[in-house]
This record gives sequence, C-alpha cells and structure tokens, in this order.
Amino acid sequence: MIRTMGRKRVVAAASMVAGLSLIVAGCSDSEGGDDEMSADPTTSADSTAGAAAGEGVATDRELVVWAGAQTPLNQTFNPFVPEVQHLALGGVYESLFYYNKAGSGEPLPLLGESFEWNADGTQLTITIREGVTWNDGEAFTTDDVIYAFTNDIAAPDYIASAEATDDTTVILSFDEPQYTNELSLLGLTWMIPEHVWANLDEDPLSFPNIEPVGTGPYTIASISDANYTGVANPDYWGGEPNLTNVRYIGIDGNQSAEDLLRTGQIDWVGMFVPEPQGMEDAGLGYINTPQDPTVLYTCSNADLGCEGDQTDVAVRQALNLAIDRSAIKDKAFVGLTGTASPTFALLGRDDQWISPDVSAESPQSPEIEEAQAILEEAGYTADADGFYGKDGEAIEMSLTSVDGWTDYNNAAQLIQEQAAEAGIKVTASTVSWNEFADGRTNGDFELIMGGVIGTSVPDPFQIYKDWFGGDATTPAGTALEPGDWNFSRYSNETVDEQIQVAASTIDEATKIAAYATIQEEITRDLPYIPIVINATQTFYNQTDYTGWPTEDNLYAFPPAWASGGAGVVLSNLGGTE
Amino acid sequence: MRYVGRRLVIYAVTLWAAISLNFFLPRMLPGDPASILIAKMSRNGDVTEAQLESIRRLFGNPEASLWQQYLDYWEQLFSGDLGTSVSFYPTPVTELIGSALPWSIGLVGVATIISFTIGIGAGMFTGWKRGTWVDHVVPSTTLLQSLPYFWVAMVLIYFFSVQNQWFPIIGGYNVFMFNGPEWSWEFVGSVLYHAILPAITIVISSVGGWLLGMRNMMVSTMGEDYVTTAEAKGLKKRRIMTTYAARNAMLPSIAGFGVALGFVVGGFVVMETVFSYPGIGKLMITAVRANDYALMQGVFLVITLTVLVAMFITDMIYGLIDPRARQNV
Repeated sequence: MIRTMGRKRVVAAASMVAGLSLIVAGCSDSEGGDDEMSADPTTSADSTAGAAAGEGVATDRELVVWAGAQTPLNQTFNPFVPEVQHLALGGVYESLFYYNKAGSGEPLPLLGESFEWNADGTQLTITIREGVTWNDGEAFTTDDVIYAFTNDIAAPDYIASAEATDDTTVILSFDEPQYTNELSLLGLTWMIPEHVWANLDEDPLSFPNIEPVGTGPYTIASISDANYTGVANPDYWGGEPNLTNVRYIGIDGNQSAEDLLRTGQIDWVGMFVPEPQGMEDAGLGYINTPQDPTVLYTCSNADLGCEGDQTDVAVRQALNLAIDRSAIKDKAFVGLTGTASPTFALLGRDDQWISPDVSAESPQSPEIEEAQAILEEAGYTADADGFYGKDGEAIEMSLTSVDGWTDYNNAAQLIQEQAAEAGIKVTASTVSWNEFADGRTNGDFELIMGGVIGTSVPDPFQIYKDWFGGDATTPAGTALEPGDWNFSRYSNETVDEQIQVAASTIDEATKIAAYATIQEEITRDLPYIPIVINATQTFYNQTDYTGWPTEDNLYAFPPAWASGGAGVVLSNLGGTE
Repeated sequence: MRYVGRRLVIYAVTLWAAISLNFFLPRMLPGDPASILIAKMSRNGDVTEAQLESIRRLFGNPEASLWQQYLDYWEQLFSGDLGTSVSFYPTPVTELIGSALPWSIGLVGVATIISFTIGIGAGMFTGWKRGTWVDHVVPSTTLLQSLPYFWVAMVLIYFFSVQNQWFPIIGGYNVFMFNGPEWSWEFVGSVLYHAILPAITIVISSVGGWLLGMRNMMVSTMGEDYVTTAEAKGLKKRRIMTTYAARNAMLPSIAGFGVALGFVVGGFVVMETVFSYPGIGKLMITAVRANDYALMQGVFLVITLTVLVAMFITDMIYGLIDPRARQNV
C-alpha cells in the first residue's frame, strides 16, 4: 500500500493539483527482450546528424516511467480533465514557456519566443515560435494561440481579448493588472489545435482524446488500463528527441515501485524512500529537491470564529520558539527535509525576496526561555506542574495529523513533547483523511500538521495571496471556496493591502518593499508555524540514460510526477555511449 | 423441483432488498456525485452553465423525488446502465467493471478453487491418519492462515522477484511488453506467469482453514456407526475414506465454499494492490477514496449478485449431495 511520503501529503493536503497521486517511477524494460539498449553506432550517427535537442546518443531502449498513476489508468489525454495522463502535458501539448520550479532563472521558451508586459500589466505581448507544426502536419499559428486563450472549454475569464497583430505576435488584454497570472497564462495554458477542438462532435470535457494532436516532442502510441506508450515526434521543432520510446506504467504501491527500481525495471520515479543511500548503492541516480513546506495550521482568527488557545498570538509565538526543528527533521523525516523560512520564501531559490528585517530561517533549536518570557508577558503564569495558563485555565491545544502519514504522526508526537518542555500543553492525535479535510476547510480545528503548496515560480507571492490573504478565507463554519487555501482564517488588512500592491507591479523594488511588510506581519502573527520543507526525491537510471536534471544542472524540476516538465526532461535525455 | 422453486423465491426477495439498500445507502451519505465532479472541474477553470446542465443529466436530477429516482434506478438497471464514474469520468461504470471482473474471477476464483481442493484433500488425509505424525502438519497450516495476505505477498515478492528475479513484481500481464490485453498465446502465457505469485499468496493464506475444518469433520465422521459398519463389511479402506467418511464430512465445507466464492469478487483488495493486479477490489478502493457513488454502487451490486449466485449454486449442489436438504426446506 502507499507509504506515506511528504509529497503525497502536500498534494492530498492540497487535495488536487495533479489529480494523480504523486509518486513515480521510471524505467527500463528488462523483460521486453528486444528492447536492448542501442549502443549501435548507426543510430548514434543519426542522432548527431539530426541536430537532436538532448544529450547523449539516440537510443531505442524504452524508458519506463512511473508518474504516480495507479491502476486502472484513466484512459484520457484530454488536457482539460483532472485525470489527464502525465505525458500529455508537456510531452504532447506544450505551453508557451516552461517555468522551472527548482531554479530561479528565466522561463524556458517553448512555443513562445519572448513576451513583454505593458507598463500597467493590462497587456501581454507574446511572440510565438515560427515554423512549428502539429503532429498531424498542420501549421501552428497565432489562431491556435488565440483559441487556447479564448475557448469556451476552460479559458480564464480575466482575459478581455486576444488578438494577433502579425503572424507571430499575439496580444492579450486584461481589464486589470495580471502580472501574477504570468505563470498560468504562459506556463500552464496548453496550446491545443483549433482545427481539432473547435469542431468536436462531443462535449470537450468528456472527449478521451486517445490520439492527441500536439506540438510536443512525443506522440501517443497506445494506452490500456495498465500502461501507455509514447514515441518521439520526428518533426519536433527542437529536433527529434534522442530517446525514441517511452512507456508509462501504473503502479499501486511505493513498495512495488521501489522493487522495480532496484531490479532495473523502471527508469524514472519521484517518490519518498526513507533510505535513499541504498538506491544510490544500486547504481541509481538520486536528487532531493525540497519544495513544499510542512507547517502547523493554526485556526488563528477568533474574529472569524476560531476557537482555542492558539487564537492568542503569544501562544503561537511561544509554540514556534518551543519547537526543536532539528530533532523533528532527524527523527520524523530521516534527515531529508530542507530548512523552513517563516517568510515562506524557498531558501536558496527566493532569497532575494526575503526582507533583511526578519529572520530568514525558523529557529532550528528550541528557545524555551524566550518562549516562556513571551507567555509571561502576555499574562500567562505557570502552574505547579509547569504548564502555563491564564485565569486558572491552562493552555491546552489539540494537534491532529492524518492517520497513516507516519512522518507527520511522529512529528506531531515530538511537538507535543517539545511543547510540554516549554510548559505548553499540546495533545497530539490522529484523524482520518476525511476528518482532516473537513476540519481544515471548515475552520473546525486548533492545530493541524499540514502542508503548504510551494510556488512554481521563484517568488512566494502565490502563498501570500492564497494562504494568507483575507480574500482567500471564509468565517469558521463555512467551507473554503475551491482554489482558496487560507485554512487559518488569517485576515490582516496590512497584508491584504500589500498583496494588492505586489499584484499590480512588476517593479522589483516595489515588490520587495511590499513583501517586507507582509513578512513582518506574518512572521509575527504566525498563522502557519513553519516546521520543515518536505523532501522531494527523484530516482533515475543513470546507467543507460544521460541528460537528467542534477544538482549542477537543474534545468527542470526533476520528479517524474511533476506536471508539465515531462517534455523538457524527456527531450533532453539520451542513451549513454 | 419444489426445492429449487422455494430457493428461487427466497433469492429473488434477497436480491430486491440488496439492490434497494444499494440505492438508498449512498443517498444517506453527505455530498452527491454531481457536486463532487463540479468541484473537481472547477479547479481547472470555470464550469459553464451548459456543462452544469449536462452533468446534472448524467447523474440524475437531484430535484426529483426519492421515489421517482428509485424507479429510474430500476429502469437503468434493467437497461444495463450503472451510471458514469466520477473518478474515471467519463467512463461508464459497466465498462470499468467489465474490464476488471474477468481478472478477479480468473485469478481469485481459480486460486480459491485450488485452495479448496488442496485443503479438502489434505484435510481428508490428515483426518484419516489421525493420531499419527500427520497431525503435526495441521498447526503449521493454521499458522499460515493467520498471516496477513499483504505480508505473505511482500515476502514472496522479496524472495522470488527481487532477490531472485524469477517472477514479475507487478501486473496482470507483462506491462513492459504488451500495450494492453490482446489475443495471442504469448499474452496468455504472460497472464498465467503473472498469476503464479498472487495465486500462491491466496492459496497459502487460505488453505489452512479448509484443511482444519475438513480434518475435524473427518475425525468426527469416522466415529459414526456407518463407518464402523462399512469397515465390518470389509470394504476397501480407500472406499470408506472417500465415499463414506469424506462425502459426509465435506458438507459444512461446501456450504462455506459458496460464501468464499462470493467474496472472491470483492475480497483480496489488498492482494490486488500489492501486485498492482487489475481487479474489482481495486475499483472498490478507488471508488471509496473518491466518493464515487456510481462506481461504488456498481461494484457492490456485482458483489451482491455474485454472492447470491454462488450461494444459489452451492445450495443446488448441496441438495444433490445431501438428500436431507431437499426434504427439510
């Protein structure tokens, strides 16, 4: 069965993002006898002649990937349904640009060549790539781009108009500044062929799209309820990929994926393995790219109906100082997590956005005296057992985590012990996923071990807006709207104001100033108490393939389940000599 | 014939009750499939009014009275329509179940029959040889029975698929070679090869129960007067063992076998997950996880039907083997 793992949790926590669960595997075909890897000199000659995009030599050894899908696979390549199969996005359909979640560089041009915002953020001018064809032979034109942004199926309603000024230029106009939607416009809007989608006989949402027409480096060869295969697109604008055959399979449990990796039957997986050393010893490539914060959600806002001692900011501050994060990292997360920042900027990637006036890292070792000083200043006194309370009532908070997410369960247990050291009574218990999801969305909780979804661009803005913004919450007792994540019911006018400021500018200095104010507020109020950054592990076959994203060349977010990156990584791969 | 007739009436009533429960239970749970699907789709963008309308049509009109919905449900059932799955939208439930059912029946059904045959045979033998060294075999098989399926499966995979790569780790067929089920000898071979470990898991975990039950019945039957009489008549030992003792001792096991066969379809959920084996148990998990009521109803309906059919068949067989059953209805 699925073992708990950081990423799975965040997604579950987020409960959607990629409808599939998040584990992945890649790999080779040790059983399909004819798929010997081709170290054949003729094929490699072909590839060099073909100005191939990727590294290494051409290979027809089939790369096997597990992108987290469980069997039976949902047989659809429709980019508009949540269960779309992984290779469709990025592999068959491409966006205009690829935004690398793991790096802070410029977006990688795909079907777009460049883009430019006007001064007030209400117009986006996009130059598209020339000479691209769909894999059915038709030319990719500005009409297709306009269709992708204006179709009735799922186009965002904030686009006022989209028009082409010449054969390669499209201008999108908006009524309000849309800088903050740059990622969804340029990085997550999939270019679909108008000549296919505009003339469908059936509801586009129930169209399984088994033979998708896209511009990407791969085309779909087959699909069943256990697997699907893709082959390289010989006419790909970036040159035919070196890696000719790719196979995605469905696996029901992490243990199976681990076994398949060890026995060399799959080549690319992103999943949690507590002891990655063993996999490295087996010759597999390994990279850990922590992305998503694990936090304590606190129902922080009594004005919106939250109940419990954690509604007092002093209690949250004291708890924040009482936690021994290094012990949690080692004992609950086997030392694989990254360091959390109370500013929710990802350390190392988003450093430029962190205000010098706040501490960049959450305290790694407990500061019990400071914690108690804060409580005492707020009028709490210790009772005979050393537990703090006010007016004869001891502080007592419940901390829940989802049953079976063992690392979260262990972390919660550790927090209970650590808080007790500082005289704060926290009671850890486990709940079912449904109780967790219900409590969270309805604001019916005190403390929850939960996840925050890391941003896909090197900028913490999305977290500020979706998790801290007053617009993204509802009073306790009312469920949050889909797409809103402010479970803590945090609502702070200063923060909301600065979110507006940051949203309507592209000027870095203005944004940094706005973020500094936000960071000052949220590091003081702590509606989410940061604990660690979850590990995101990727394992890959480096014996037969070269060109993987590595620490030195992190050109794409590496895990195989990462949505949208499939095409970028696969077309960069090649066989080893 | 009267025996068959009465049984049929009882089964018809049970079926009606089961199907009605199947209809009402999901409707007592909070939430409804249409709003779940709408919530899911709205994450990807706005849902238009036209789409809302078509979804409402697909999942039945929640504004109709419960009675009307109940009648519609029966009408749909008779036309073979089990609705549309939310978690595999827009695949019809019948199609999902249709592709999963043969795997479950094929693997688990055959494994259960093998386990039953081995268990009954060995039970007969150990019962016959009571009081000898053979008795020591009994506790060890009971021990195997107490091991959880998934644990047995994982141990088998570890030794026979990872340490020694003799058997495949996942799948109902070679998912690295075949792009889906096809009709070829190679494919059939692959299916059989992939069924070995899961089948062994099931047999190991269930044979002990049959063996123990059969052995104990055998021991008590052998104390009966008619066995002594048969021995006195000088019949061959073999004939006494099979025709006199075993035939009578088997009766409770046969009754149990009907129930076990019924659980074939729904059971072994864990085994299917460990081996990533296609089957109906996995559909059930998926349905429950995703609150996919249409799929849940469909799976439960199939399970109910299978249990009833299996019990009906065993009833009939029971009637044949044991004439007393035909008299005492």
